[in-house]
Order: sequence, then structure tokens, then C-alpha cells
Amino acid sequence: MNDGESRNDTYPRATREEMIERFGRDLVNDFDLDDPRFNDQFNETLNYMVRKCPVAHSQVGRGYYVLTTQDDVRAAAQNWKTFSAAKGYMPNRPDGIPYLIPEESDPPLHTRWRHKLNPHLSPKVCAAMDQPVRNDVNELIDRFIEKGECEFISEFGALLPGWAFFKNVLGVPLEDLPALVNGVEEGTFAPDLDERARHFSGVFDYLEKHLKWRSTQPARGDLIDTILAGVTYDDGTEAPWEHKVSVLVDLTFGGIATTTFVMASALHHLATHRDQLQLLLDDPSLIENAVEEYARYFPPVVALGRTTTCDVEVAGTQIKEGEFVMLGYAYASRDPRHMDEPEKIDVRRQGIPHSTFGVGPHRCIGSNLARVELRATLEEWLKRIPDFHVKEGTAPTYVTGYLRSMRSLHLVW
Amino acid sequence: MKVHIDEVNCSGHGRCAKYAPNVFRLNDEDGYNADRGQTIEVPAGEEANAKLGVKSCPERAITIVED
Ligand code: HEM
Ligand code: SF4
Repeated sequence: MNDGESRNDTYPRATREEMIERFGRDLVNDFDLDDPRFNDQFNETLNYMVRKCPVAHSQVGRGYYVLTTQDDVRAAAQNWKTFSAAKGYMPNRPDGIPYLIPEESDPPLHTRWRHKLNPHLSPKVCAAMDQPVRNDVNELIDRFIEKGECEFISEFGALLPGWAFFKNVLGVPLEDLPALVNGVEEGTFAPDLDERARHFSGVFDYLEKHLKWRSTQPARGDLIDTILAGVTYDDGTEAPWEHKVSVLVDLTFGGIATTTFVMASALHHLATHRDQLQLLLDDPSLIENAVEEYARYFPPVVALGRTTTCDVEVAGTQIKEGEFVMLGYAYASRDPRHMDEPEKIDVRRQGIPHSTFGVGPHRCIGSNLARVELRATLEEWLKRIPDFHVKEGTAPTYVTGYLRSMRSLHLVW
Repeated sequence: MKVHIDEVNCSGHGRCAKYAPNVFRLNDEDGYNADRGQTIEVPAGEEANAKLGVKSCPERAITIVED
């Protein structure tokens, strides 16, 4: 029974020998999100760790923990007093990048901003973006449908989320999109930490200029104006300029860096699983549910971090105050203690309590927009290109760290 | 059947209203459950949908207080 309730399934803890044989390293004591083997054996590693390693530790840089079970991830994500976001979400955060708001802040400051921002990305507001997003989906498909093939990431996947966000939310010129997408991507995955910091500051500079320009323009009553109006903090002070810039940066990171992976993975899965494709072609009303299942199984956010404010114990592991602890959202979404056959992808799966959009007060503010984009993409794509395959001799390529991203996907029809 | 929606832990995933629109309502403005902090009656015939909504909430913010 896939009843979503906590079940008694217990699994023996991982042994060092087994981990070294299967994954080339001791995942419990010597984990590394940036290890190329984690990228290559992504699903296998997640499925193994969620069962056998409730808490993993990494010795990379300043070190970090990763929590993997759904119950532990949820408890930590909701307990922001003990697991504070104010010291950042990236492991081994490069020096010199300002903290992002709301992501890297705690209540009550976090709450002030979310109250103001939520209405701009509510389910109702995002539902009104459905038609414009669908038009964009079709405009992109128009560009390559006659060719009979495309490289999905560069010709569609990396563009649509940016278009949706830039046109409907940010209002910045589309020709600036490629540089921003590249800045966010390199800022996340560049092997060198200084290089990551450099790319991030490029994004900051661009967005700060845009915000400054908008502050000289008549108000439009949009999200940017809400950011410019700012908030009053509990101590009576007004949010400073740097906070406003960081809110815009945070939204932009989220808006363009994640949704691509879910849509690309969904199409790759459909291209390689005819039975699931047929289900959606026969009954397109299943697509909305399929979006949840694909988001569950293809999470662009592997894990995001918090800093402990006191000593705490998780699943028998003692964690000291001041440690960096990552919430393994990607693991928690496939916890066999909470669902049947979690490694099976079934667009008919009902009631999917996944944590792909995070858990707790930092729940993805863009989740409603992301859902609109994913649904519009699948619905319009299947209407226009119902029969498609992965190009012979190619396979998708990936890059993984605390985020996961697809670099290329060649489709033919 | 009665369900309670936790005031603090509801974080606006909106899954409850997706699966049980006749049971759970979202606040138009922010998209969080409109009955946060309240116990509400499940209309007759909506029990199965309500349970699906409860199960889909990633926060476990909804509890069945009376079956
Ligand atoms: C499939 C697409 C997406 C996924 C999987 C995703 C995932 C996430 C996750 C897991 C978090 C929680 C962070 C935490 O707990 O620390 C988050 C937060 C956030 N996301 Fe998304 N996201 C997506 C799309 C978007 C979009 C389209 C936007 C912008 C419109 C966005 C903006 C944000 C922001 C601003 C936050 C910080 C919220 C806060 O701290 O209160 N995301 N996202
Ligand atoms: S699914 Fe849960 S968190 Fe989401 S709106 Fe409903 S009660 Fe709130």
C-alpha cells in the first residue's frame, strides 16, 4: 500500500566494504557531492543512501553532513531555529558573495519578505501565466520542428524557464538571457571556487543595474516594484539596498537554473519508455500528475544546506553546533519508508509527497510557476511531437553537485 | 471526518487543494491553505480525496482528527 504513512521498513546500515566496492568510496564518512562517480551513479547512489546511510559526512573543504531520510529531512527543514539558513545553502560557500534573501535568511526577516513576495507567485497569479508560457513553448517548437531533431537543452530547455521568468516576472530584455544562464550555471558547477564567485558577481552586477534603472521608472505594480518598496524589519529598520538586490538575485537563480532539468528528464524518460508515453497520449489529463512524478524522480536540487545553532543528534549521529548540514531533498523524495517502489517512475502514481521543491518555510516560491512551465511543455510537446526518440549513438550528459543539471539531450522525430 | 491544518507547518505547496478541491481551499493571495490553524469538516463523499490531500502534503501539515 502506497499510503504515505511512516512504515516499519528497516534496512541494515551500509558497510564500508560494500560502499567501496559499489561506489569507490565510504559514503558515510567520506562523501563528496562533486565526485564524478556520484554524477555517473546518481540514481543508484541515492537509492542506496536513502536506505542505508541516514546521515553521511563529507571531508571536502570545511566538511558537511547530508541527511537522507524523508522524516529527518522534513524535521530539520521545519526546525529553522536549530537548522539555520542564515549562513548560506552552498557547501563550502565561496567567500565574498553576499547572502541571498529569502533563501539564506531565517524568520522573522525571512517571513517579512515572503509575505510580500508570495502574492506575485501564487497559484492564481501563475495560472494567468499559463497561456503566455504555452505560446512560448510553441514558438520554440516552431523553430526546430521541421528539422526533425533538436538538441533539447540549448534549443528549448535552457530557454523556456528564462523566457517565462524574464517576460512574465522580471521584465528584462531577452537578449541578456544567455549570459545570465551561463553565469548561474558556472557559478554553481565551475570546478574552481574563485571562478564560481566571479560568475556569481557578474549576475549580481547585472541585476543591481536593472533594479537601479527600475527605481527611476514609473511604478508598474509588479514584483520588481514590491522588491523596491522593501520591507520593515521587526526592529523597525527598513531593508537596505543590498537586501533588495539579493532578493532579485535569489529569484533569478531559482527562476532560470532548475526547471530545465525536470523537463529534459521527463522528455528523455518518455522517449525511452513507450508505455508511459502511450499513457499520456491516450489520456493527456494525466500530465498534471506526471509533472509531480517527474519532479519527484528528477530533482534539480540534490541537497541544500543549513548551519546548526546548537548540538543536535540525527539518526544516532552527533552533530555539533556550527556544522554545515545538507537537507537531502532528492533522497527524501524516494524514501521507501513512505512509498511503494520509489525507484519506479509511474505517471499514475497518486499522492506523491515529494520534497523536490523543498520543505519548511523556504518551500520554493517559484514552485507554482515551475509547475505551469512543466505542464505546458509536456502538453504542447506531446500534441505536436507525439512520437520522438533519443538520437542514435547519443545519450544525455549530466553534471552534478548540490544541484543536478543535464548538459545535452539529442532528440529526433 | 474532520481534519486539522497546522498553522505553522503549512508552507503553501498547494497539493491538498489539487487533490481535494472540495475539501481544502487555498488563500487567493498567498496560495497557502486558507484554513491554517483550523479544524474543518470534510463534506460527505469527499473522504477519499481528503485522504489523498493529507498524504500529498510534503509538510505533513494536515492531520485527520476524526475519521
Ligand atoms: C523545477 C523547478 C524548481 C525546483 C526543483 C526548485 C527547488 C527549490 C528548492 C528545493 C527550494 C528550497 C530551498 C531550501 O530549502 O533551502 C527552493 C527555493 C527557492 N526557489 Fe525554487 N525551484 C524551482 C523553480 C523555481 C523558480 C521557477 C523560481 C523563481 C520564480 C524559484 C525561486 C526560488 C526561491 C526565490 C527560493 C527561496 C525561497 C525561500 O528561501 O524562502 N524556484 N527552490
Ligand atoms: S499541501 Fe500542505 S503545505 Fe501545501 S498548502 Fe496544503 S496544507 Fe499547506
